[in-house]
Amino acid sequence: MADLLQFVITGLTVGMVYSLIAMGFVLIWKSSGVANLALGQLVLISSWITYAILVQIGLPVWLGIPLVIVIAFALGWLIERFLLRPLIAQPILSLIAVTLGLSYFLDGLITFIWPWSVDALPRLFPQTSVHIGPAVISQEYLWAAIISVLLFTALSLYFKYSRMGIAMRATADDQMAVQACGIPVTKIFSRSWMLACAMASIGGILMASIGGIGHGLIDTGMKSFSVVILGGLDSFLGAMIAGPIIGLAENLGGGYLTALTWPGVREVIPFIMIILVMMIKPYGLFGETRIERI
Amino acid sequence: MYLPAGVRNHSYAQDMAIFRTRTQWALLGLLLVSLFVLPMFLSNYWLSVCNIIAITIIAATGLNILTGYCGQLSIGHAGFIAVGGYTSAILAGQLGLPFLVSMLCGGIMAGLIGMLFGLPSLRVKGFYLAISTIAAQFIIMWVIRNWSGVTGGNIGLGVPNAEIFGYTFSTQSSKYYLILVITILVIFFAKNLTRTRPGRAFVAIRDNDLAAQVMGINLFRYKLLAFFIGCFFAGIAGSLLAHCYYGFLNPEFFDFKESILYVGMIIIGGLGTSIGPILGVILIRLLDNVLSLQIVPFLEANVTILSSGWASGLKPMIFGAVIILFLILEPRGLAHRWNVFKTSYRIWPFSY
Repeated sequence: MADLLQFVITGLTVGMVYSLIAMGFVLIWKSSGVANLALGQLVLISSWITYAILVQIGLPVWLGIPLVIVIAFALGWLIERFLLRPLIAQPILSLIAVTLGLSYFLDGLITFIWPWSVDALPRLFPQTSVHIGPAVISQEYLWAAIISVLLFTALSLYFKYSRMGIAMRATADDQMAVQACGIPVTKIFSRSWMLACAMASIGGILMASIGGIGHGLIDTGMKSFSVVILGGLDSFLGAMIAGPIIGLAENLGGGYLTALTWPGVREVIPFIMIILVMMIKPYGLFGETRIERI
Repeated sequence: MYLPAGVRNHSYAQDMAIFRTRTQWALLGLLLVSLFVLPMFLSNYWLSVCNIIAITIIAATGLNILTGYCGQLSIGHAGFIAVGGYTSAILAGQLGLPFLVSMLCGGIMAGLIGMLFGLPSLRVKGFYLAISTIAAQFIIMWVIRNWSGVTGGNIGLGVPNAEIFGYTFSTQSSKYYLILVITILVIFFAKNLTRTRPGRAFVAIRDNDLAAQVMGINLFRYKLLAFFIGCFFAGIAGSLLAHCYYGFLNPEFFDFKESILYVGMIIIGGLGTSIGPILGVILIRLLDNVLSLQIVPFLEANVTILSSGWASGLKPMIFGAVIILFLILEPRGLAHRWNVFKTSYRIWPFSY
């Protein structure tokens, strides 16, 4: 019983961080219809940038973290301006392939600058553990979950009420109409990439501060794909709910199935979930089912 | 379709011919002869480079049928190659089946697994399908890593040399001939496939699958057929990779990055063309070779300002940049450049 509670709590809190990264994906998909497959690499590179700023340069945390987010904004702007903008109105295959190319490039870039490939970030949160009934949870995970919920709320409000957010939703709905209304679509694309990179970097900082920097962070990004697939590609709420579900499945499965199957079953559960969702409900829990016309 | 000047068709057979003029036949003959006498002039090392290029061409041709012609993006190709390689290695090594049989079984196994993971393609497309093939890659590699009783797990699996009717392919040049013959057969098959009913159905599905369905193309059948053929070739390539190139198998060879590279190769070559995968593979594999054997060690030894090991990041960076640049600057790939070159050669000295 204690085990179960432990798995549930760990799963829910880790899942919140997956949600956070997944929301960055949904943001781009919603506004520009581009699938960002370089998510894992963006998470990893931003945690390395954090490492460079906090450890290698040695800035204090209160100055360093905002700086990382500013750099993430810049990265997002660069990616949109130089990779995605030339490909506007190209087939979806090119759009997917260009982010694949980007992921390959970033992989190399990370090895290029930080070849030792594993390191630790300074802990950002107090590490004393919290007892919930018989279960023990590190306080870091709780903080991560809280930040993720806060960002979700902020993002939802931003999309609902701010001018830019409304413009982004409109662009997702009908690009042509938005352009006809005199809203600069390219500006919206670049804003959404900047925001998404910032979300990926916050996710990266949280994960790296808890578990260290390493190629495991790319897998975290990969797992976020299962979150977006389960939640529906164009729904923040879906991402927010699907994250904890994936986290739960991963931890419960890892806890109870490892004895039955092979070790490492935890890592593959999100991918099995992807296949299952594809077969049963391909557009996810909250995704919009597209009706196509010829 | 541009024809050389002065070529007219007087019958349907002529119209359908791949090679139309005597010059083309002569050039084809020349190419084949030069491919067959190549081992006399190359060292073992360069022969092994030719082998990996030819094997990769087989796999990329399969991916091109699936992605380039049928429009079903697969980012799990390395996983399907692994299925073929392991199946064939286990059948030949542990059960003692003849090489040709185990190679075909490897291909069929990869094809069936490909069909299984291609099932979602009936309901979803584009990005959804790409994600499910990524999932396929990770699930397949997880099974291979952990089913160590059969696959050898992370330690790897020894593979016997290929053997046909008592002849063992142990030297580099004999392996070259075996791979070359299979590659030529595969390219010939792929070229002709695209001119048949299934091939045209694939193109129709790529262009608009709903419209294709309305016109009476059975989506279920043809999408799964495309997955089967594409992954079958991957399996054949995997089998050759195991028996004729590495000699043993390790999950490391079939990394997710390798899958991305396969997509990159057919994009660089030109999607949906028969010459595209060949050009793309040659470019990437040669680049791979030159980078990892000449440029990276040289830089590693001579540039010491950066932290050690930095130069190994160079290769993925360059590959990624090449894929991105091709997508932005020449989305039709090298095949289009080749056609432009051919056309301008034919009409020279006039501009059109």
